[in-house]
Amino acid sequence: MTPPDVLVIGGGIIGRVAAIELATAGATVTIVDAGTNAGSHANAGSLHVQMQSRFIRLFPEQAPNVEAALPLYKQAASVWADLEARIGDCELTRQGGLMLAEGEAQMAFLEDKARREERRGLDVTLLDRAALDRIAPWIGAQIVGAELCRDEGKLNPLLAGRRLEAECRRLGITVVTDSVQALERAGGGMVAHGRRSRYAAQEVVIAAAWGSGVIVRDFGVDIPTRAEPLHMNITEPCAYQIAHLVQHAERPITFKQFKSGQIVIGGGWPARDNGPDAVPSVRADSLLGNVALAARLVPAVGRLRLIRTWAGMNTTADGGSILGRLAREPRVTMAVPGDAGYTLGPLIGQMAASIVLGQAPPADPAPYAPDRFAAATA
Amino acid sequence: MSEPALEFDGRAVPFREGQTIAAALTEAGQRAFRRTAKDAPRGIFCGMGVCQDCLVTVDGVPNRRACMTKARAGQRVTTGEPFPALDLDARLPEPAPARVLEPEVLVIGGGAGGLSAAIAARAAGAKVVLVDERPVPGGQYYKQAASGAPLDAQQSEGAALVAAARESGAELLGGVEIWGAFDGPLFLAEQDGAALILRPKTVIVATGAYERPVMVPGWTLPGVMTTGAAQTLWRSYRTLPGRRVVVCGSGPLNAQVALELAEGGAEVACVAELAPMPFGKPFAAARMALADPALTLKGFGLLRGLRRRGIALRYGTALRGIEAADGGLAVTLADRRDGSRVVEVDAVCMNAGFEPQNEILRLLGAQMTYDAVFGHLRCTRSETLETSVPGVYAVGDCAGMGGAPAARVEGRIAGRAAAAATGHGEAYDLFAELRTLARHRRFQRGLWRLYDVRPRPPEPGQGETILCRCEEVSLAEATEGHGRNPGHVGTLKRGTRIGMGRCQGRYCGPVATRLVAGWSGAEIADRSFFAPRVPIKPVSIASILAAQEALDDAP
Repeated sequence: MTPPDVLVIGGGIIGRVAAIELATAGATVTIVDAGTNAGSHANAGSLHVQMQSRFIRLFPEQAPNVEAALPLYKQAASVWADLEARIGDCELTRQGGLMLAEGEAQMAFLEDKARREERRGLDVTLLDRAALDRIAPWIGAQIVGAELCRDEGKLNPLLAGRRLEAECRRLGITVVTDSVQALERAGGGMVAHGRRSRYAAQEVVIAAAWGSGVIVRDFGVDIPTRAEPLHMNITEPCAYQIAHLVQHAERPITFKQFKSGQIVIGGGWPARDNGPDAVPSVRADSLLGNVALAARLVPAVGRLRLIRTWAGMNTTADGGSILGRLAREPRVTMAVPGDAGYTLGPLIGQMAASIVLGQAPPADPAPYAPDRFAAATA
Repeated sequence: MSEPALEFDGRAVPFREGQTIAAALTEAGQRAFRRTAKDAPRGIFCGMGVCQDCLVTVDGVPNRRACMTKARAGQRVTTGEPFPALDLDARLPEPAPARVLEPEVLVIGGGAGGLSAAIAARAAGAKVVLVDERPVPGGQYYKQAASGAPLDAQQSEGAALVAAARESGAELLGGVEIWGAFDGPLFLAEQDGAALILRPKTVIVATGAYERPVMVPGWTLPGVMTTGAAQTLWRSYRTLPGRRVVVCGSGPLNAQVALELAEGGAEVACVAELAPMPFGKPFAAARMALADPALTLKGFGLLRGLRRRGIALRYGTALRGIEAADGGLAVTLADRRDGSRVVEVDAVCMNAGFEPQNEILRLLGAQMTYDAVFGHLRCTRSETLETSVPGVYAVGDCAGMGGAPAARVEGRIAGRAAAAATGHGEAYDLFAELRTLARHRRFQRGLWRLYDVRPRPPEPGQGETILCRCEEVSLAEATEGHGRNPGHVGTLKRGTRIGMGRCQGRYCGPVATRLVAGWSGAEIADRSFFAPRVPIKPVSIASILAAQEALDDAP
């Protein structure tokens, strides 16, 4: 079979990896990216494998979808390491992630969570304070214990972004800045209408995160992708001393140090949404709450200075990934990740490319089929 | 009694009461204060807390600005490191109690415009708080001495304005660093390590400007500083930037500071003025003279002073590069007639115009337009100097260059208007003030035509020129980064780290914006610049924690 001409809508982690896989297989690939309010460009670089307490609390109805997909997260973290081996150093490490508990109730929550995660094949251990002190004595005194998930890690997304761009260039992938407004069948292929131009291809991969649902609404699916603007903070650099990704059993936070020295504090505090074409802005309550929480969990950072904050778009739908050909329009392959999309990105990108190429994907895509969103009045 | 001393890298460095660490080190001949991630030495550059390049470790606390930190006896200061170790056993510092202030009129900035605004608003009866970043108010034009009597008429005029502001009953708070500006408006600040929370009814932003450098190879070397930094060293701390100095760029400040430094005992190699000899512009000179004969005379006095001291004012002369040489600096200057020459100095002062400090205004959403003549943003304002955001006023150079005399008038107008907006007095009868303001603006227009402060990109042939001091990104790297992913300054930032450092892109941002516009053929607009972000200045996490606790406790 001759590899097709493929249009990839969205140039974030999934679109880039899908494009790289497709181009490697010989396809002619064009990426069209709107260049505004992307998730990958603003991502903070956590490799999430254990269930995030924030997500369970905020979206309890979606939590079962995330739990069912836990093996996918574990596999995705490995795929990231493979990707780094291919594209070059992204400051990736997998020394594990700690989820901290502040009292017995939180510890009990972690115990239950760890049992469920272990059943899905995750490498998790519960640590009491003495055990925690042996690996992370710098954690605040109020913390009684933690869950350690050894599958977790972190990377520097700016560096990864540059490596992916270079790989796309090397493979001759065309990257266009434009915002796709509509998609239609034309003859034997598809045509995407952007604000600036139109793009014809035999196959289309939709990797447009929160912008994906609207692009395919005329194809019998009603995919509720929503933008969730989130806040992040970064300090000035210091010596690399903190290897783990740090989270909390009840409160939203991710805390990690890039190997290049800066500490990134995030974890899902809300930012102000300024609409689809304007960058979200930082809210005072999120900045104060997020950074104050970090200082309480890791008191050693108190004397460090915060030098920048920013906001970017996370995408939510139903917690699970949305992956596969549309039943009504099989030339369109959806590639939208579930929660913690940056972690899942390379694996979902590879799976989408396999589907387009007619090959067996590296994981079973059946649970993520987009037709679960079949429109009621199609 | 022996004079007090601090310790720098184990060596005793004497200082005088009131001096900053930067002034004490400079006086002791210590040029390099820190080393960068690429192991380059850096020293004092802006002298006003903007560039974040003079960072030293003070009593174990890394990344303190030497130019803003007072010298104290027995202080242990060490060379700033790029990656200081975290003390992992450290407990959270006990935060000093946070203060919450809710004035009717908040004035941000204690320079000519801010002080005038505070006096006017207070005189109308409003409850006024003025905050200033420096410990001593006066701003960059009036540059008050840290101790001792005023040096000259300019300092005396400033001292009188400061005294009037104090007597007015406005609350003047020094050493206040505003790091957060949010809708409301809500301002978050740090004062001596304690959190300060400001929720004013109206705000007058009077944050002034900072200097535009001449970006050439070597402009980041220790000993190279802005003309204003050299002036602060001398006027505020009686410290000369070097024994032998050269002053480069364009504008009236350069000649003034050259003369001040010479009067203070420095040998001034020359003043290299980029603009051609002003005889070719009689109309601009005449307009200036008509608008303000006194200031014009002051300008002539300055030129006479330089001549009397034998200091050459070389017109049409550009700075081409700076190299470290023999414990000093070898500076290459080029003019249109006899080509290039090299002067050996130990300090280089540079000023090629100004950039407005408009971060607070932009964060609050105030409308801006691009002024192509000055190459910076101008804030859109009403006749009473209110911005497009109701209750937010902008006066002086932060709204676009206008000079100190105009800033004073603008401060008076905005002070009365802000007071009136909070129910004090009426801001009518502005006619006389507006007429004076028009005259000052005419003078400024004439003045700047005599100089050459058009923004110009670094020489394309000198790819090694650093654009981003913080992240050490060169022109060649930025050019390559844009080639990879053209069209947008935000993309360039992510691709090269340009503008991602501690100074928030204050020096490289305008240059990167103009370069990207030039490369991609796009018009420059407000949104062409790096998006403004909090923190406006780096802020300690302990201070954020203190602010969070204070706001959490608030009803």
